[in-house]
Amino acid sequence: MKALVFGEKPEQTASLAAYLSKSIQPETTYAAAFTEYSPTELETVGGAGVKKIYVLPDKNWHAGPASTAHALSELAKQNGVDIVVVYASKKGNEIAARTAQRLDASYASEVISVERSGDAFLVKRLVLGGGYVASLLLRHRPSVVSIKPASENIVPGDKPVVERLNIVSDAPEVKFLESIKPEKAHVDLEKAGVVVAVGRGFKKKEDLAMAEELARIIGAEVGCSRPISGDLKWLEEERHIGLSGKRVRPSLYIALGISGQVQHLVGMRDSKTVIAVNTDPNAPMAIESDYFFVADLYKILPITIESLKKKLVS
Amino acid sequence: MPDVVVCVKQTVDVYQLKPHPETLAPQIGQAQWKNSDFDLNALEEALRIREKHGGKVYVVSAGHDVKPLLVRECLAMGADEAFVLSDPSLEKADGSATAKVLSSIIKAKIPRWDLILCGEASLDQNSYQTGPRLAEIFNVPHVSYVTKLEVGGGGIKAWRAVEDGVEVVSCNLPAVVTVGLEINTPRLPSLLMIRAAQRKPLNELKLSDVGLTSNDVMPKAETVEIKALKTERKKQKFEGKPEELAERLAELIISNVGGRR
Repeated sequence: MKALVFGEKPEQTASLAAYLSKSIQPETTYAAAFTEYSPTELETVGGAGVKKIYVLPDKNWHAGPASTAHALSELAKQNGVDIVVVYASKKGNEIAARTAQRLDASYASEVISVERSGDAFLVKRLVLGGGYVASLLLRHRPSVVSIKPASENIVPGDKPVVERLNIVSDAPEVKFLESIKPEKAHVDLEKAGVVVAVGRGFKKKEDLAMAEELARIIGAEVGCSRPISGDLKWLEEERHIGLSGKRVRPSLYIALGISGQVQHLVGMRDSKTVIAVNTDPNAPMAIESDYFFVADLYKILPITIESLKKKLVS
Repeated sequence: MPDVVVCVKQTVDVYQLKPHPETLAPQIGQAQWKNSDFDLNALEEALRIREKHGGKVYVVSAGHDVKPLLVRECLAMGADEAFVLSDPSLEKADGSATAKVLSSIIKAKIPRWDLILCGEASLDQNSYQTGPRLAEIFNVPHVSYVTKLEVGGGGIKAWRAVEDGVEVVSCNLPAVVTVGLEINTPRLPSLLMIRAAQRKPLNELKLSDVGLTSNDVMPKAETVEIKALKTERKKQKFEGKPEELAERLAELIISNVGGRR
């Protein structure tokens, strides 16, 4: 069996290859790249299991997803691969969808696992708002999946064979004009040990200061449900926890004023301990928490913060 | 004057869905149906484009049992005409089958269009497939995850949210654009608009009307099982006076972060 892997970044490509080496164990894993990899990056993807890496012109990347998908599908065809595996970043998902359409392939996006099942691939993914797991069989060859494997330590290995290939694409172009970076410093919610998450229980943007103070005292990162970063734009998108945002797995998750819609729950379910504060005793978060406080966060949070300050100083 | 096609999926209301207590299978039969959230953002955006630039707004919907009442909601919001296709074979439709049906409806019934708008993903499957697949079928550019859109001069300019910020991009029309809830707030139709929608054309189609058979819409990714996720939590509930609760909360926080500090 042959696989082709592609991630926007070298470490993503490596994580895909490493995941496949453990799960479906392809005989040969090819990788695609649209930039030159450094010697260290080559050793990492090699250690992860990539035997050969195709370096394609960066214009196939900069001309947009149609052009990238064209290049990936040509590589898949030329090498007769059984499965194309794309890192499920936002761009990865749109590229994978176009690649699948080009290849007339079976495709499952944002899967959480891939395994062999006879001649087919069995994949699992979250559906129905994230509260359910669907198992799907991909019978057509090639199949396409997108996945975001958990990062792990990869022992560097032999560099893969590097082949530079020119694929001329007349695929419809999207012109990149500019990139607007978020103002605040980068937060790594996925690696945070404690997360304080805020939701619609907060009535004004200024009130988030309470959550931020709590987070500062206990050394937590602040996250939020989608309405807070999306509709209201009170916090940056990179703090959004949920189905279309970050998936966090801290040892303690504190949900303040979050009712717990399934789309949010999927982003925090792997937390070790969950504490929630909400006025509604019947909010879905009640059965998704270890400790659920039926309370108005405006009434209890200021007292909790003062109490924590005293306790942590002593 | 751009003509805009909006793809609207009808899905179960996942917010109301309950799993069967023993099998853990979703009890779809008991759930309400609704228009998929982001698709209504797509429709709202199409209506705003029409208000600014003119043109027509078409709604296209396909599924195993498309509910005309929900399509009327789209017409009441302001769409000019709807094309819907129901066929039992679409019950297990995957991204490939969905794109095939939608593109076939558009080819057969809406020969001239400038822009296709879709929600970035559906409420039930969350696959992020339909928009990019349609773009590939029509061999046009697409832009996904759009949070702000400008149409003019034969092209579009779009702001899209990706992991490391916002990308501003442009492309020529015709094109496909997918949007999330950040782009706008869908309007709620007034009674007057609901009444006016009764007279708007709602065309119901069969597979054969758009040149397809049920073989053409067989899924390539076949769902074999769906089960609710189970979480093991202590589920302890605290109620009482704010002062006591606040103190309890502080203690629990300390005992759970204690080991780390």
